[in-house]
Amino acid sequence: MMKRIIYLAMAAVIPLASVFTVKADETCMSPYIAKITGQEDYVYVWTLGVEGIGDEQDKLVTIDANPSSDTYGTVVNVLSVGGRNEAHHSGLSDDRKYLWAGGLDTNQIFIFDIHSDPRTPTLHKVITDFTDKSGGLVGPHTFYALPGRMLVTALSNNVDHGGRTGMAEYNNAGEFIATHWMPTDSDLRGATKSGQFADGYGYDVRVKADMNVMLTSSFTGWSNYMMDFGQMLQDGAAMQRFGNTMIVWDMHARQPKKVLDVPGTPLEIRCAWDPSNRYCFTSTALTSQIWLIYEDDQGEWQAKAVADIGDPSSIPLPVDISITSDDKGLWVDTFLEGKARYYDISDPHAPKQVYEKVIGKQINMVSQSWDGKRVYFSSSLLGNWDKLGDDDEQYVKLYHWDGEQLDHKWTVDFYAEGLGRAHQMRFGSYALYGKINPNTKLAKIDEIKVNGGLN
Amino acid sequence: MWYKSRFLSFGCSVGGVLCLLVAVQTFSNTSGVLESDQNFDASQAFGPGDVKEGYESEEYRTHSRSLLERRGVKQDLIRYVEDPPLGLPQVVLPEENPITRKKIDLGRKLFFDRRLSINNTLSCAVCHIPEQGFTNNEISTAVGVEGRSVLRNAPTLFNIAYQEHLFLDGREISLENQVWQPITARNEMAAPSIGYVIKKIRKIQDYDGLFEAAFDSRGPDIATIGFALASYQRTLLSGNSPFDRWFYGGQIDAISESAKNGFEVFSGKGQCIVCHRVQEDHALFVDHDFHNTGIGFAVSTGKSSATDNLTTRVQLAPGIFADVPNQTILSVSRNRNTNDLGLYRITENPNDRWKFRTQTLRNIALTAPYMHNGQFNTLKEVIQFYNEGGIPNELLSPFIRPLNLSESEISDLEEFLLTLTGSNVPDLVADAFAAEIGDIGTEDPKWPHKNTLGF
Repeated sequence: MMKRIIYLAMAAVIPLASVFTVKADETCMSPYIAKITGQEDYVYVWTLGVEGIGDEQDKLVTIDANPSSDTYGTVVNVLSVGGRNEAHHSGLSDDRKYLWAGGLDTNQIFIFDIHSDPRTPTLHKVITDFTDKSGGLVGPHTFYALPGRMLVTALSNNVDHGGRTGMAEYNNAGEFIATHWMPTDSDLRGATKSGQFADGYGYDVRVKADMNVMLTSSFTGWSNYMMDFGQMLQDGAAMQRFGNTMIVWDMHARQPKKVLDVPGTPLEIRCAWDPSNRYCFTSTALTSQIWLIYEDDQGEWQAKAVADIGDPSSIPLPVDISITSDDKGLWVDTFLEGKARYYDISDPHAPKQVYEKVIGKQINMVSQSWDGKRVYFSSSLLGNWDKLGDDDEQYVKLYHWDGEQLDHKWTVDFYAEGLGRAHQMRFGSYALYGKINPNTKLAKIDEIKVNGGLN
Repeated sequence: MWYKSRFLSFGCSVGGVLCLLVAVQTFSNTSGVLESDQNFDASQAFGPGDVKEGYESEEYRTHSRSLLERRGVKQDLIRYVEDPPLGLPQVVLPEENPITRKKIDLGRKLFFDRRLSINNTLSCAVCHIPEQGFTNNEISTAVGVEGRSVLRNAPTLFNIAYQEHLFLDGREISLENQVWQPITARNEMAAPSIGYVIKKIRKIQDYDGLFEAAFDSRGPDIATIGFALASYQRTLLSGNSPFDRWFYGGQIDAISESAKNGFEVFSGKGQCIVCHRVQEDHALFVDHDFHNTGIGFAVSTGKSSATDNLTTRVQLAPGIFADVPNQTILSVSRNRNTNDLGLYRITENPNDRWKFRTQTLRNIALTAPYMHNGQFNTLKEVIQFYNEGGIPNELLSPFIRPLNLSESEISDLEEFLLTLTGSNVPDLVADAFAAEIGDIGTEDPKWPHKNTLGF
């Protein structure tokens, strides 16, 4: 019955390589979003409410990230939204005036105005009928801006709370446009099933705009992502319900073209920025590998495992990755180890780990600044998957990265502050809106550059 | 062979209890053909659309169905109550709740309405999924609001009309009463009160006039909501299985020789029939009683096999497993009390510890995973468990002892159990698929953000 036990096949740790030229950026963003190329003023943290902590509900927490400000490294605003919605991911509109944030449980989408007063976001609109309008999608996950549009991937559905799902498309006014279902065996929707799997699962979405390519990945359904993690690991039926696919789409047509086998639950997708680099990366959460999704010499999109992450047999659980803007480096966070790893991906077919550091007793998201010098980490994976007791650290931490090592600058303890579980981080800046940060002693406008459109 | 006799009776005495009188009576045969509407693909009725058969192997291939194909055809369900399928007795209806089509329709609407939960995420149908045997094949134990753990496997609702005791610990006496517990249980649908649900339904426009039409101008209240939900569930009668057609219908070739041998094991050496009873003119495969198999005891006393090991084998992908240290699993397990004392919780009689209600075997092929905590994924595992005599404890049912069944007897017994799938399952599922799923829409009061509920 047990066909094989996974084993460590690739070297886990490579000695430190030479110093990297890390330019880094907000590399998980859509290329259609205006970027903060200088110092970010704020980090917006989409935060899960926790019973017994503060007001117990989900909230958008604003942390002052500008070192010139008197309140640098502290929480300057808290906006509670009502309910524990399983706050998870958030994404910026193409004009970067609004932050869309979803609840994986309640399917509500909260649209925050972050431009009128970047220090004090307000709740602009709440979409409550995501499931009804989309024809049954559950678990709004990734919010990914295309011109005038917001793509919202889902994780589940309203009929069996399993993993079959799709993507919803909204306009910037928050009006539903269409649902794009993931291909399944019975309806491949014009795609080619290239291997053994066409599970219909969903998770993340990213584009290689210059190639008119969109990629999606696959996780699991509501029953699993809402379930107690320990309970799920012991539930054989539940563990069979994780995604093993990625889909290559025609971006403009929203047409699935090819279903790729990527066994072991491919999560975050990060695409190379250089148009000549015709590939993206993902990491598989359960099998702990870095996968390269690339266009081969014949113009065909392929997927292959290119590196192990730690010791896969111990399930370190890679959860978030972040690529540098020069396509040379990749941060990888492993939840169970609380560890951040840095890979040299100069050769995308053979990533090499060159650095690692334990950030906390658990870790989830990583966000780096445009210049790559500032790397923020947060702690929470899912409300019922986070660790317990003293291991349940909830934080946002800032480190400075000099190309060789991470240097801790500050920590905001989200439990001590009565906030909850810190999940995804997005950056805010006055300069995006032609404003000067009134809170800085020395506002240097010329160091803050706004660069819109394709980069 | 004895089972070919037109009439045959036998008795058995176990523990001094006269356990059975079986008579085989031949009725006029029914068509034996699936009764489903030709516009409904009947194969959808027999398991999750996300097919995981063979997932243990690296040779696994998906056969997933598109959610868009999940379209049904409304049926006239009252016919099953008026004239139960072959093998089932007449339904005893409560005097205060005679069944009508309008009540059934209203009950169906409530059954699939996720708005009845506090955060609009769970309906009855999320745990009792029609194509999954009106249970959930995809997880061992149910998951409630905000992912809260439920101790037990969701029981099937097929033939629930005949149950004298509701819930696996038997704590309710009627379907009309029972419906309120999942709706208000904190770890299920978590509605804060009965009044809250009534008020909410009154505010949802698509219920306007439906209660009044079904209940002689009476609106939604504690009784009418229970009446309607009970009426729908009472129609989920499933019989006329191959077994019924053979045993009660006299259709000699309705089941295989192996299944016939299996029934002989079931009735004789295996003594399954002691608790899963077969009567002269009908078979519910229950004894309306409670028994201690040892499973509850083992969990409560830490004597389950899982706790004997240092690791737990966890599946990561098709054909890929890892032995995960139990310490790791504990680090992400909520403080979940898995103790379940069963009937004792109701009676507080120490002799009732770890007793659970006998579950029906009808449609058993569709209702995996098995046992009160869903710990077995296959019928073979269940048979093997009983063949070994359950788990010894001071209160082990006297009916459970080592059976010494041979491999062929086990195989035959399983074959017999597979003949218990009712012919009208596709009809019941087609009807369920036709039901509208109640998700919060733009017309509904936006209770998270406006005080439209009046609280």
